[in-house]
Amino acid sequence: MTLRSNDRQWGAVAKFFHWIIALAILGNGVFGLLMDLARSPMQKINWIALHKSIGLTVLALALLRVLWRWLDKRPLEDAGSRWQQWAARAVHGMLYVLVLALPLSGWWFNSVAGKPLQWFKLFNLPALATKNDGISDWVLDVHEYLFWFLLLALVAHVGAALKHHLKHNDNVLRRMLPFARLRNGSTSTGERP
Amino acid sequence: MKRLAAVLLALALPCVAAATDYTVRPALSQLNFEGTYQGAKFDGQFKDWIATISYDPANLANSRFDVVVTLASVRTGDHDQDSALPGESFFNVAKFPTAHFVTTGFHRQGNLVIADGQLTLRGVTRPVSLGVVFRAQSATSATLDIAGHVQRLDFGVGSGDYADTSVIGPTVRITAHVQLTSK
Repeated sequence: MTLRSNDRQWGAVAKFFHWIIALAILGNGVFGLLMDLARSPMQKINWIALHKSIGLTVLALALLRVLWRWLDKRPLEDAGSRWQQWAARAVHGMLYVLVLALPLSGWWFNSVAGKPLQWFKLFNLPALATKNDGISDWVLDVHEYLFWFLLLALVAHVGAALKHHLKHNDNVLRRMLPFARLRNGSTSTGERP
Repeated sequence: MKRLAAVLLALALPCVAAATDYTVRPALSQLNFEGTYQGAKFDGQFKDWIATISYDPANLANSRFDVVVTLASVRTGDHDQDSALPGESFFNVAKFPTAHFVTTGFHRQGNLVIADGQLTLRGVTRPVSLGVVFRAQSATSATLDIAGHVQRLDFGVGSGDYADTSVIGPTVRITAHVQLTSK
């Protein structure tokens, strides 16, 4: 496995970004929904601080990923019907937007709520907007709904990947799996569009 | 002998002469503080406090500040902080409704006057020193600007979990701007 992607599979860097961001954003989303379970106000303060730090990390990784994708090659698209290719591109586009919008909306909420924003107790980041208690509940709803949208897009993304893997037995999932070997002789090693 | 008498007189004079008694004009005066929370500064005010001020820069020995602060009047502009600060873990206003600062003496440090005193907060009394800048505006009015630092944990402000100074900074800066009218 090389660092860069080639025509047949994603490289190590693209795989790293894909899986670390997937893990962090899903974990942080579930964590965010469970923060009310904190046993004390101080524990909640520390949990929220951790949630914010992980979210900022996701944002930084997502920006680096977009940059890398722009510099890197990518595997050829799987041969499929026109609507399948369109659907795959639409879902991928939505996932990129949501992965960036989710931490940004959190940062926005933190700003209008007038709270400090610190990354793992190391340094502080500025507010994106001025404090505005009137809209902070609404912005928190936006932040939360974006996570539900992310989960919806994820159902389509994972569903399609599993369909390729289990039904078509092709390399669409394998070429993104960290340690999987590609199947030779598969029908869909990619076609130049 | 003459010289000794003059020295004795000079030493005795301040004890005879009284410093000026002032009334505070609350609408033009502020008692502020600034702390740190999660790496960022935050500030607040106490809205209700009463100060008895006797001051004469030429007669520090007879000058005196006596300040009583109603702790429930704390306001930071942040809902969470405003609801937490009067609570048991911070000021515990149910048990200790007021803080009290009274001077024990004044001394000069270069051009600055330092007010040394005792601060009683949350049932704990500790020495606290404050820098004093006094400006006479007219024969009957003056301003006082006060600044100093307090270690919150000396008084148990933010006890238990809240003692974590990596989240809530240990040092709180106190400032006051006081508009005075002589009685």
